[in-house]
Amino acid sequence: MSAASDLLTARIAAEHASALPDLPTSVIGRDRRLQAIGAFSARGLPINRQENWRYANLHTLHHARFTPAQPQATLEPSALPGEIEGYARYIFVDGRFAPELSHHSPHPALTIFTTGTEDTAQHIAAEQELADNRLALLNEAFATDGARIVAADTAHPTCIEVVFVATAAAQGGASYPRLQVTTQAGTRLGFIERHISLGSEANFINAVVNIEVGRGATVDHYRLQQTGAEATWMDTLSARVATDGTYRLHLANLGGQSARSTQQISLAGERASTVLNTVSVAGRLQVHDVFAVIEHAAAATQSEQRFRGVAAQQARVGFNGKVVVRTDAHGAVSRQSLRGLLAGPQAEVDVRPQLEIYTDEVQCSHGATAGKLDENMLFYLLSRGMEPEMAQLLLKWAFLEDVVAKIDLPALRGQVEHALAGQMDDTAALRELL
Amino acid sequence: MNTLLNIDNLHVAVGDKKVLNGLTLQVPAGEVHAIMGPNGSGKSTLAHVLAGRPGYEITAGTVSYQGTDLLALAPEERARAGLFLGFQYPVEIPGVNNVYLLKAAVNAARKQHGLPEVDAFDFLTLVKEKMQLMQIDESFLSRGVNEGFSGGEKKRNEILQMLILEPKLAVLDETDSGLDIDALKIVANGVNSLRAPERSFVLVTHYQRLLDYIVPDRVHVLVRGRIARSGDRELALELERRGYDWISQEAA
Ligand SMILES: Nc1ncnc2c1ncn2[C@@H]1O[C@H](COP(=O)(O)OP(=O)(O)OP(=O)(O)O)[C@@H](O)[C@H]1O
Ligand SMILES: [Mg+2]
Repeated sequence: MSAASDLLTARIAAEHASALPDLPTSVIGRDRRLQAIGAFSARGLPINRQENWRYANLHTLHHARFTPAQPQATLEPSALPGEIEGYARYIFVDGRFAPELSHHSPHPALTIFTTGTEDTAQHIAAEQELADNRLALLNEAFATDGARIVAADTAHPTCIEVVFVATAAAQGGASYPRLQVTTQAGTRLGFIERHISLGSEANFINAVVNIEVGRGATVDHYRLQQTGAEATWMDTLSARVATDGTYRLHLANLGGQSARSTQQISLAGERASTVLNTVSVAGRLQVHDVFAVIEHAAAATQSEQRFRGVAAQQARVGFNGKVVVRTDAHGAVSRQSLRGLLAGPQAEVDVRPQLEIYTDEVQCSHGATAGKLDENMLFYLLSRGMEPEMAQLLLKWAFLEDVVAKIDLPALRGQVEHALAGQMDDTAALRELL
Repeated sequence: MNTLLNIDNLHVAVGDKKVLNGLTLQVPAGEVHAIMGPNGSGKSTLAHVLAGRPGYEITAGTVSYQGTDLLALAPEERARAGLFLGFQYPVEIPGVNNVYLLKAAVNAARKQHGLPEVDAFDFLTLVKEKMQLMQIDESFLSRGVNEGFSGGEKKRNEILQMLILEPKLAVLDETDSGLDIDALKIVANGVNSLRAPERSFVLVTHYQRLLDYIVPDRVHVLVRGRIARSGDRELALELERRGYDWISQEAA
């Protein structure tokens, strides 16, 4: 550990001690908060020299206040992204439920922690033994609210959208989004999760999402990270998939100054499967970094991981995809296609596949490439009369579409595509494709 | 006689290797010229240099097209000025839609000439009509450029693009290679349908059979980066019988 990060760890513990009396026990009890901050303090903040943190931008944490923020702005509902038909939407502002902005009636599958009658939250942080749970411990220590989603209806899919809006600046305080998702056997859940900034662009957000996929259940999880240009977005996601269950994650990483997602997906039951599709587009001085661990812990489990990342200007985009296949996971199938695109001379793209296989009976196909646009493709387009800027833009677009096209909610895909086009500074040029 | 393309003493190197060594060739408007020659003699290099592909160093010589300096133009400007390259190995571009590219190409040329963009509906009708001529299934409309196309399908797609772009000068690099007999006729029909007094073709080919269907005005043999012999279509038949050795020896 470095001296600076030791100091910061100590500062966080002190902030916690003064904040503790005001933190709601209906979300997390006092004892568990103390345990969490204790466990965090013993280990300290992640630093770049540590395995699996080397691509992240952790410097911005030093300028953040960890005490939960007070919501700053009154929000105009019109500033929120368009709703997706069929998805009831619930909104949190700076980590606190905002009923006045949310769907008018409570959802049978959704419980808000602060208004729930019981302490519903699970010990989320404990799930991350393979990846890293330090930031999740911080969420547990400071969380102000959150929601529990339980899909119990086997006859109809449960469809919910949760939007986390950050309005406070990082110097003023942090926001701790927190979700606990459980799907019972045979259910289907469609779940949109957005992170956006309104008011201040320079928020500090530290999210935790924990997902239990029941027997034969299916979860489609759509995540859009569109926080402000100077925001720090930290995230810890764990999913555990039971026998015959399916967990599909679509992550569009677009916003933020520093965005890091730590993910652990455990295929715990036989024939459990997962698909992780990630697109990341960064420009300016943005740093986007994902560390995703998939654990095959049972026979005939399947995983598929796709990453497409574009780094322009001075941005850095990293994806570290680790697959662990346990001794009992006979017949596991694991596919990985990780591709990074350098769209600027000063940009950096790192894709890193890691494999740990403890059984012979597996099928693995793994591809990881990072490079520039294909010269042959570029010349082909120019030879048909296309402007060089347009040709490059089109190829970048095609590169991303490979994964974006897999978002099977057309309205949401449209929103993601618009956001991508905006991020590439060229909505007008791409209008025909949108 | 109105010369559309005038290549004079062209020398081209790729890295340290001299590939074209004083190539001289004139293609008058309205004519079809076939270029034959052994593997590695520089045929594709010539085609690429004409289209403006980067990576080639032009060490001497000039190329004029419609009286202007072709080599001074960027690849996209050449395309908009009516030059079309049919690639020997068309690249697959997953995620870039076939029709989208066609429309972008047409609109780029129209913009150059101060014309408004094509009407989307009319354009699609035109594309479908030409697809029928090339016997390309309509399902290809929604696919990525050359994505998953067979070798023959890629070549037919090149000709489809040519039919829609209606270039002034089409340089077709081995468009006949890898085609079955029926496809060869389809491609030849496509080319012949565009033959016109103001339009010229440079056909790079290894097979005189193509020239049964597209009758050339001139046949040139490229050996070690220069035209070693030119003649009429009889020359192609002679090459078919005798191979290239005799010309290579004469050239040396
Ligand atoms: N990018 C390159 N790097 C190195 N050598 C090259 C390159 N491009 C062409 N050459 C060389 O230049 C020579 C001519 O190549 P070119 O592709 O023009 O031949 P060709 O006449 O089209 O052959 P073929 O009939 O096989 O298509 C060959 O020896 C080739 O190896
Ligand atoms: Mg060739």
